[in-house]
Amino acid sequence: MIKFFSDIYTASVTIMGGMLITLKHLFNAKNGIATLQYPEERWPRPERNIGFDLGSYNVIRSRLHVDMDDCIGCLKCERACPVDCIKIETAKAPERGEDIKDVKHVGVTTNGTRKAMVVTRFDIDMTECCYCNLCTYPCPEECIFMTGGPNSKKHPIDYEFSESNRSDLIYRFAKPGTKEGMDKLLEDGESVGA
Amino acid sequence: MGLVHGEQMVLNIGPQHPATHGVLRLQVRTDGEVVSQITPYMGYLHRCFEKHCENVTYEQVIPFTDRCDYLSSMSMNFGYVVAMEKLMDIKVNDRVEHIRVIMAELQRIASHLLCTGVYGLDLGAFTPFLWALRDRERILDLFEFTCGARLLYNYMWVGGLSHDIPTGFVESTLEFLDYFEPKVDELENILAHNKILVERSADIGVMPKDVAISYGVTGPNLRASGVNWDLRKNDPYSIYDRFEFDVPVGVGGKGTVGDCWDRFYVRIIEIRESVKIIRQAIASMPKEGDVHQSLPKKIRPPKGSIYARTETPRGDLGYYIESDGSPIPYRLKMRSPAFTALSVLDEIASGWLLSDVLAILGSLDIVLGEIDR
Repeated sequence: MIKFFSDIYTASVTIMGGMLITLKHLFNAKNGIATLQYPEERWPRPERNIGFDLGSYNVIRSRLHVDMDDCIGCLKCERACPVDCIKIETAKAPERGEDIKDVKHVGVTTNGTRKAMVVTRFDIDMTECCYCNLCTYPCPEECIFMTGGPNSKKHPIDYEFSESNRSDLIYRFAKPGTKEGMDKLLEDGESVGA
Repeated sequence: MGLVHGEQMVLNIGPQHPATHGVLRLQVRTDGEVVSQITPYMGYLHRCFEKHCENVTYEQVIPFTDRCDYLSSMSMNFGYVVAMEKLMDIKVNDRVEHIRVIMAELQRIASHLLCTGVYGLDLGAFTPFLWALRDRERILDLFEFTCGARLLYNYMWVGGLSHDIPTGFVESTLEFLDYFEPKVDELENILAHNKILVERSADIGVMPKDVAISYGVTGPNLRASGVNWDLRKNDPYSIYDRFEFDVPVGVGGKGTVGDCWDRFYVRIIEIRESVKIIRQAIASMPKEGDVHQSLPKKIRPPKGSIYARTETPRGDLGYYIESDGSPIPYRLKMRSPAFTALSVLDEIASGWLLSDVLAILGSLDIVLGEIDR
């Protein structure tokens, strides 16, 4: 009998205690305490000061981007990728460091490296990407990065990339016509040489 | 009582069930409303983790370890790098060790918050769940500031870290802890001593000491059964021997030792202990130090094998790595703490009512990504 009433007593006390806590929250409710009105407001980004070279790499995990003018075709990012979502094909450039107008190939990177390879194919399948960021570290020219990274002025942070067609998520970074142009160029060169 | 039998029935719980923490099917044999046998069927999340690891290099394994226990990825990274550094005989500097401990303990808080919040949700309390997730979000923001990712970090590397902590990380962590400590009391007051939750969890699904030990259950589940066993204290790895903290043990506060309420309550106390460790680690962290100092140029461990274990939020995580001297592991085996916790379910949940099964399952805090691998 005593247990019956004591159970009722503890039940009501603990539940009232819980109610009291929630009631306090009701009166202390402030705007923006929990809910962020997402598309209009965004969470604050930290001050940039992280990375291998301070100020050069951001720690965003977002869409991958490649600055093709800087890519030397060293295949380091392709080897680093654990899920093999980067596919690169290269062809030997006729002369190291030379601009080839036909295929819009720039011979020298912004770091001053003379390019020996023409990248004829650079595909990143973003449906396979696991956002581990491993590909960005070994790049000697710092040309592959997550958007919002070193060139954040050019490429703002982009979380919401969606396409209506799945194959549109395969990003082809190589300049259009590079492969065909290169094939033609090599053919002509061979015929000239012969 | 034994003479009274109801209708025999086979019932499938899952795979799509909110309380199965992933994708798990429980085949329950019932006798009336009393459960007589539970057979867990798993493998719905099997992704060939161990076979994958035999085909990628050692540094590429780390993103895969993230995806095993997706609620405590930092701890999974931590276990792997501890094993690899033992195998390769690498010594990392103090700053790296401190940052790792801070991250692992923050992750422990986040994981336990989710567990306790979801446990309330399993038993019908919605408000604590939202509060727990709100505070967990702050921790995930801290991780995002540090390494850019919110859940799958790839942050700890063999021989170091991928980044140093950002400027202002220490301040915002301390600010978070100051904000968070009263919230733990609030969570405890609204949830742990609530009569409804106590009635649903106290004296239910008792796991005695000997059952827990013979099944190999580790972590908070083992400690709730009254065994004082924590790898951070009993077999300290990294720099855990430098910090002072208590190992919470289940005492049967509302019923028997080792019941669901104990398993739930031990986690709340562990959150407080983790806060203690983080404060000590921040206070003693060296200001200077390169996090890439002992990063090996190429990870090519010597021939041999290693087994190293660490304490994750779910228990004793072990990595067995067999190396044949090439940059690709010959064999990598992971001992998952949640697997043993799931295997003990049949033993402790048989004989209870059907509605108690989910209360018991929730209190074990399993993650199916880690069980199936």
